[in-house]
Amino acid sequence: MRDDYSSELGHKLKWAYLLSIVFALLAPVFYVIYISFNEYGFGARIYEFTTDWYRVVLGDTMLVASLEWTIYLAVGAVATTIPMGLMSAKLYKRTRHKVGFVTLMLSPLFVPADILASSLLVFFKHLSGAFEWLGGALGQGWLQTWFELGFLTALIGQIIYTLPYAFVVILITMSRYHPQQTEAARGCGANAWQAFWQVEFPQIKAGVFSACAFVVILSFNEATRTALLKGGFDTFSNVLVSQMLNVGMSEESYAMGGIMSIVSMTVIGSLIIYTLIRSERLERVARAKAEPLMSG
Amino acid sequence: MTVTRRDKSSISPTAGGGRDIPASPSAWQRLIGEDGLQKWAFYAPVAFMILFFAIPMMLTVVWSVFERTQFWMEPGFTLFAYENFFNSARVENYLYSMIHSAWAVVISFALGFPIAVFVRRRVPKVAQHRVILLFILPFMISELVRVFAMRPILGRYGILNTFFMNIGLIDEPITVILFSPLGVIIGDVVSFLPFMVFAGFLAMEAVQLYVFEVCDDLGAGGVRTFRDVIVPLAAPGIFAGSVFIFVNGLGVALVPIILGGPGAVNAGLIVNQAIVALDFPLAMAISTIMIVTLIALLYIGHRLFDLTKILEPIN
Repeated sequence: MRDDYSSELGHKLKWAYLLSIVFALLAPVFYVIYISFNEYGFGARIYEFTTDWYRVVLGDTMLVASLEWTIYLAVGAVATTIPMGLMSAKLYKRTRHKVGFVTLMLSPLFVPADILASSLLVFFKHLSGAFEWLGGALGQGWLQTWFELGFLTALIGQIIYTLPYAFVVILITMSRYHPQQTEAARGCGANAWQAFWQVEFPQIKAGVFSACAFVVILSFNEATRTALLKGGFDTFSNVLVSQMLNVGMSEESYAMGGIMSIVSMTVIGSLIIYTLIRSERLERVARAKAEPLMSG
Repeated sequence: MTVTRRDKSSISPTAGGGRDIPASPSAWQRLIGEDGLQKWAFYAPVAFMILFFAIPMMLTVVWSVFERTQFWMEPGFTLFAYENFFNSARVENYLYSMIHSAWAVVISFALGFPIAVFVRRRVPKVAQHRVILLFILPFMISELVRVFAMRPILGRYGILNTFFMNIGLIDEPITVILFSPLGVIIGDVVSFLPFMVFAGFLAMEAVQLYVFEVCDDLGAGGVRTFRDVIVPLAAPGIFAGSVFIFVNGLGVALVPIILGGPGAVNAGLIVNQAIVALDFPLAMAISTIMIVTLIALLYIGHRLFDLTKILEPIN
């Protein structure tokens, strides 16, 4: 058999290629951040570091309000998507109709944002009309405003978008869990909740927290579905899109892009570092346990 | 080891914190018990996805044949929206955007899939997932920012042109890479390339390493191993990644809006324009065409490559 590392140069070149692709994907984002800290913006010959553009963005009440709405949506998405992702992953484990189930759960990944958003928009407009009629017929005014475009409809759009990611991340973590442990816990008298919370959850919590981070970032970055389903408020991404299309690329746009990138990189970067440290620690523990056996 | 669950009525109080379960639960306890609501609670995500995803997607077909009114639409049966689509420049734009998306798929495959193969073949097993994690970071940064960030890179006075002019490679800025179909293809590749790496790697995980050893032992060259062994074995992942890129290239309006210039259109943008013009049946007709395209691609892919194989590593 040929040695995997027989051509050291070839091996190094392949690594260089891999890293250059990662760099090529990230470099434009870093460039946006770089420009956002320039007093004179894009295209200027002089570079003078400043945080003024960030101050302008964070001092704009409309932008801060849009940031607040973005946070509410992200919190709502995490609060609903994560339990749903957990339940979906558990159901996947025991269902006999795995292909149909996984098709339903993962299909939103393959439907482009604009197509899904326009279908949901028409669906909610019909549903809102139906509820208005129902509320009127039953004399229940509170029913009439259900499914009017607003926070709830935007949240539903985000849940459909983020649930497949949460489902996959949790499912991958769950695939390393041995269900016999749950059976053992039940055999010892634990109820279903105790078996889950005290035995299973500690072993899958890394996946659950990763799913939380993914959902926060996806929700924070989402623009298209929210734009059509949000009703009367704006999210941070929506404001950025409308600025780019109406005003062009101003210094504030770069600062807004910088904020979005820095938030994403901080959350996902922390997650990656935590994952690496954790897997390193687990390996060390495994090696320490295996050592006496190997030496014996 | 398999532990058989004890009969509930036989469970006695335990020192380890186990609870005493009454011998005959009340109707309320039965209702909220493990065979009652708790069991059905697990179906909540399925119900949610059927109600808010599957049903709207199916109804899109129905709405596409409704009759247009001034601001909305009303039940009826007309193929006017489809005629409107097929007898206008929109169909030509749709076909062009299919070609652009196909190019994005080819480029993403050429750039991304060798990375998946390299990681699977040459990187030690314990480090493979860590290397793939590197691609999570760009994938998780807003697509909006990543696409928008291409403007100062590809623009007339952007980094790329400035660099090429500084090293004397070109005399005048290259203008064809921004606000052009090429700009859209570059934007699609930047947006979706990581997905090709993920899907390719997931498929490669199902390929046992001894397969490569056998190829090496038999003296098969790199190209032959890639063409005759790796690609067929990883076909489900390659196909899933390709469909994802193709359909999103066709349907995500953001990329042509930001990088395509005045004439650039794709299906997603046509849908957006139809909604802005309050022509909902037309928007639904184009969405239907997109959904049918997607289902046809996935059906063909499943028949040819059995896409469930991608999930083998998870199972």
